[in-house]
Amino acid sequence: MATHEEIKEALEDFTENFNNNERLKLMNKDWNRVVVIKATDVDSVHSWILQDGHLTLQEGFLDDPDLTVSADSETLADVFYGDVTPIEPYNDGTLRIIGSEDDITRLDFICLMIWGE
Amino acid sequence: MKRAGTDRAGYRTDTFISGFFWIQWKTGGRQPPETGGLFLKRVVSVSLGSSGRDHKVNIELLGQEMEITRTGTDGDFERALELLQELDGQVDAIGLGGIDVYLFVKEKRYAIQDGLKLMEAVKKTPVVDGSGLKNTLEREVIRILARETDLLKKSARVMMVSSVDRFGMAEALAEVGCDMTFGDLVFTAGIPYAIKTMAELEEIAYKLLPEITKMPFHLIYPTGKKQESQDEDKVKKFAHYYHDTDIIAGDFHLIRRFMPAGMNGQVMITNTTTGADIEFLREKGIGTLVTTTPEYGGRSFGTNVMEAALVAILNKDLTQITEQDYLDLLHKLDFRPRILELGN
Repeated sequence: MATHEEIKEALEDFTENFNNNERLKLMNKDWNRVVVIKATDVDSVHSWILQDGHLTLQEGFLDDPDLTVSADSETLADVFYGDVTPIEPYNDGTLRIIGSEDDITRLDFICLMIWGE
Repeated sequence: MKRAGTDRAGYRTDTFISGFFWIQWKTGGRQPPETGGLFLKRVVSVSLGSSGRDHKVNIELLGQEMEITRTGTDGDFERALELLQELDGQVDAIGLGGIDVYLFVKEKRYAIQDGLKLMEAVKKTPVVDGSGLKNTLEREVIRILARETDLLKKSARVMMVSSVDRFGMAEALAEVGCDMTFGDLVFTAGIPYAIKTMAELEEIAYKLLPEITKMPFHLIYPTGKKQESQDEDKVKKFAHYYHDTDIIAGDFHLIRRFMPAGMNGQVMITNTTTGADIEFLREKGIGTLVTTTPEYGGRSFGTNVMEAALVAILNKDLTQITEQDYLDLLHKLDFRPRILELGN
């Protein structure tokens, strides 16, 4: 089980990687979204705001998210540290994403652009 | 050339003579008669695409009589699995349509997991997805167009809606000197970022494909009924990729799903088009349609169908079939791409 602090560190790491990647920012300058990330086994909720290609992380829940990502704490930390890709836990149901198919696909692509081989 | 008549059972038949095939197209929706006894080879394409595109034709290919059937499952994956299991051992070759199994980037091959599940359901009959032939045939088509027509000029702007499923075509177009735009991220993931060079295409493909191929296929490609409709929001959003180019190339279902109105005589290089598709393209304003597979009865088959037919002719173990085998057959068939002027 990962702690709230570990999940936060993983998300901060992901956020920094995103914001340092000029190509990724360019790719997503049209995609303004709110993403909530919620652990199912520990008390840990974060929100991402993606606006004009810049990603901001904050603790807690934001209303009306476009995407809600939930999983056990270990899976969340693994995915956002890049130790595992989101595809397999998504396919086996460990990682749940609620949102439109288009948004889910796009979030997967972003993760892979950061952590892919 | 086309002749129409009726067969002995009273059903309308159209005979098409096009290059190297004769085809009897049964328009009555009934089973064709046994034409060749033991010598008739049966090839079936099972597609995740729309059943509205189903058809059956009889052809003669290098002296071999062949019945070719296409059956769509409207995106129903389980139905496709069942159908493949039913056909296994009953036909001479099977094509998998509406889904790719193998994607090639240079020497690397990636397997789409959903496609692989379908392929592995077939134990006895040779089953192909068209990727073996695509890499050969489509390179050849580009070379023919560059050498023998004025459709592909150096520096022509080419927009491929997706290229990792047609890497041979992408490489051949780049070799001709075309100004390439690869729309893989745009039309597969909705990311408005056009890839402009082969080097960046390879870099992104190597990064993404090992994992993207594990995603549910319907998330990255229009299957079933989606093939009959357009994604209106994206048609508007991405219209400039279509309008600001001379040539549009790639998978027809992707092209169709996002094509805006107001095209101005562009050339399109694709396949798997029906008569209704040709009308759709004409209405949108496409000028010339080039299909990489031959025409049968007014439509061009998918490469999976063509590859399955060639495999049935070759009568060799799939693992023994080489690119050269396909090239030799294509040359024997005096293969030419079909070029259709649409009057725009």
